[in-house]
Amino acid sequence: MSTTAVTPLRALPAIGRRVRGYFAPVDRVHQQPTIFDPSANGQFAADAPPAPWVDLGWIENFARKSASKFGGMVTGSPATTQFQVRETVDATVSFRFKAWSKLSMALAAGSEHMNLIVPATGAAGNGSGSKGVAPVKLAAGSTATFLSLAASDADGFAAGSLVTVDVDYAGQTGYVGSGVFAACVQSAAAVNSDPDYIRRVSFNVARVASLATGATSGLVLAQPLIAGVPSSAMCVQPICGFIDREGGSFFQEWSALFLIEGQQGERIFFHYPRLQSTAGSAESATAMTAPLERIALSASFRALPVTDTNDGAAVVCFRSFLPSESTLV
Amino acid sequence: MQNAKDTFYITLRSRLATVNPERTMMVRAVSRPGIFVQDAEAPMAQPLLDAFALNWTALAADVQLPAILTQMTCEIQYATAGTQNNAGLDRGRALEEMDYEVLKILYPYASQKMNYTQTPAAAMETMVFWSEPEFGPAVTIRDRLNRTVKVTVYAFQEQAEL
Repeated sequence: MSTTAVTPLRALPAIGRRVRGYFAPVDRVHQQPTIFDPSANGQFAADAPPAPWVDLGWIENFARKSASKFGGMVTGSPATTQFQVRETVDATVSFRFKAWSKLSMALAAGSEHMNLIVPATGAAGNGSGSKGVAPVKLAAGSTATFLSLAASDADGFAAGSLVTVDVDYAGQTGYVGSGVFAACVQSAAAVNSDPDYIRRVSFNVARVASLATGATSGLVLAQPLIAGVPSSAMCVQPICGFIDREGGSFFQEWSALFLIEGQQGERIFFHYPRLQSTAGSAESATAMTAPLERIALSASFRALPVTDTNDGAAVVCFRSFLPSESTLV
Repeated sequence: MQNAKDTFYITLRSRLATVNPERTMMVRAVSRPGIFVQDAEAPMAQPLLDAFALNWTALAADVQLPAILTQMTCEIQYATAGTQNNAGLDRGRALEEMDYEVLKILYPYASQKMNYTQTPAAAMETMVFWSEPEFGPAVTIRDRLNRTVKVTVYAFQEQAEL
């Protein structure tokens, strides 16, 4: 007895159309990146990556470079290279985000990325946003897509508005931000002990789809919060946009996964467990019909090492290949 | 894409009614602003004089974006023979007047996308936007002066349109 026969082809060239980018936060406190295991998750639907990966869509001008250096052990007369040694392990990757969003803008900027909190009446002007309107406290029963608020508090928001959801700053130092470590506070004085500071840098943002009234009043969100179900200690503030700066001392760190889908069903992944930005914010324009231009976010990163638990090697990138079903390997 | 085309046409028609309420045409015994979509009217042996005809020609789509971005070329064709009172000697002036109206009705170069297949028309989520006009040369055919203006119209395909 035999099963259906496969008539294999010789190995074929990989032909891809484009590169898709996925990102996930790194736990900076415990120095724990998000690891992608292609043996377990390599066949995920491109539109629905496994948690906690966030799909940031098709990217362009994807270029990755190995910057590792090799040296030779030269002996004898005449001298010949007897062995090679790996002197440094280093790699960079760069690309352009086609779409602007909180995440893509923050990734491309590399430093603190702030939310522009709707300013309080009469607040003094400031380059990265002025003192915001008072936050409102979450009531019990919130989820990643629903913010439970007292009816009087919910009335202060409108469908279509943007909100930031996070805890008050209470004098702590170190990494702050729910879901993603968004900044590193050196001292309370450095952030003016501003109770809104964490909400100002937080990645826990969303657009309000509609207002819920009645017994369970609150805000129905059009997208889930990156930190998941909010805690009861969190507050909500309206925001009107985002801002980054050329400057700052903080380096964001992200785990990244890039996917090229071949035309025969094969998949090529590039997984960088730890990426930090190597450049400040920059954009590049692609001409449409003059004078219209599509503005893309330029991003470039250096890969930092992790230890591969299979053999203890320090590596900065994993490249994996999942062949199509019909080819010899 | 049809919503974007409809929006572009209705936007220009509404603006024309404001810019020059006198520019009207009589089609099927109805007087209306002097602008129409060629493929939505009966075939004509010759284009209507002193009215703007919209022709949709090239189409392209960028599918590598979170929403498909369509790029449609609209050629706005118009012709004039001047006025009878002046024996057509004012046809150059009449063409210049239409050129100016094209500039006026195209600006601002964007409009909220609308769904006109329902009543009342419903606002959609995105904007339709277009390039600045690219004027072709004035072409004389017998007693008529003709011009074609090319505009590239962009629109994102929304979930509700898929």
